[in-house]
Amino acid sequence: MPGRLRKNPLKKPERPYLALGLEGSANKLGAGIIKHDVDGSTSVLSNVRHTYITPPGEGFLPRDTAQHHREWALKVINDAVKKAGISMHDLDCICFTKGPGMGAPLQSVALVARTLSLLFNKPLVGVNHCVGHIEMGRNITGARNPVVLYVSGGNTQVIAYSRQCYRIFGETLDIAVGNCLDRFARVINLSNDPSPGQNIEEEAKKGRRLLPLPYTTKGMDISLSGILTSVEALTLDKRFRADGKPRGPDDQDYFTPADLCFSLQETVFAMLVEITERAMAHIGSKEVLIVGGVGCNERLQGMMGIMAKERSGQIFATDER
Amino acid sequence: MSSESPEAEWHTISVRIPFANAKHAAIAKQVIEVDHELNPDAVKRVLTVEDEFLVATFSTLTVRLARLVLNAFLENVDLVVRTISEFGEEAERVSPP
Repeated sequence: MPGRLRKNPLKKPERPYLALGLEGSANKLGAGIIKHDVDGSTSVLSNVRHTYITPPGEGFLPRDTAQHHREWALKVINDAVKKAGISMHDLDCICFTKGPGMGAPLQSVALVARTLSLLFNKPLVGVNHCVGHIEMGRNITGARNPVVLYVSGGNTQVIAYSRQCYRIFGETLDIAVGNCLDRFARVINLSNDPSPGQNIEEEAKKGRRLLPLPYTTKGMDISLSGILTSVEALTLDKRFRADGKPRGPDDQDYFTPADLCFSLQETVFAMLVEITERAMAHIGSKEVLIVGGVGCNERLQGMMGIMAKERSGQIFATDER
Repeated sequence: MSSESPEAEWHTISVRIPFANAKHAAIAKQVIEVDHELNPDAVKRVLTVEDEFLVATFSTLTVRLARLVLNAFLENVDLVVRTISEFGEEAERVSPP
């Protein structure tokens, strides 16, 4: 039964192990060092990142992102090693994101990982991006057997672990939730610094009016592209005020970019909470773990928290952006 | 085009890239060889190491492909060379037990 807790089948390491992790599957490049101690605990010694930020209204393209990673990879790795206070020779293995992700950036990072592995004669470990997200989240938060909501720029999935495998209960039928939010940020020309999703979140806090948008959960799955189209269409509505101000004292019936961000977030997150709740009921788990870039969104964490509380459960989320 | 040897009319480029020593050249070969060419029907790639030289020979169907493939290859070599020059010395300094 998936709800039951099992003892960790892995035996504890005989000596502390150090691993270097390299990630560059999208516009964020990261290098981190993690230590697996003899008592079975793990600690993150360093976690250095550098993000490729595009001007407002533009997304990141594979070629340019790869270029950015090639430029920064060595500096980021050096920083990570220095911050952890170790030498490259102390490492026990080098891990890198194998996929899925954008081809060109992944390849750039893989090249560096392979070169380092051969230079220092260290074993190379390819990590699945999604499993990496989940395991990292489990490690940091201490969740044991959660229903995982994996929400990022490229993925939207509800996942649970059963019989040695992560199994997908539900997912998006078209675009990812992060993609949906980021693209809307582009439509209303929000900055991409530090991230479009964070700027949407800030903008949404100022929103006062909830506009009706399609609500498209389909069983365990959701669909987001239609919502994006509707919210984009609303920016062409004659009641839309791009500057956020009424046109005069008689101008009562209007809405602002902040209202649209608010409505978009509320609708999309409500859908995510719904499918997560259904998965929890299915497998009888009381824990929810939110991972991925959109998982940093405090409104999503808040809404999920309310749902979990009503089911006398608990939510785990990673806050570090 | 004759059907017997369609590759006879392909465009061929060969580049010799010098490294500091044969070991580094071998590393570069191993690192780059793993990724297949994206268009195997129109691009043939042969990588070899001759002493401290990495020798790459490309045969491509079109001139445009030859340019693109060579460009991508040189970018990869650049990244590997920079990684080696950044970490190569440290890797040599303390040999692992």
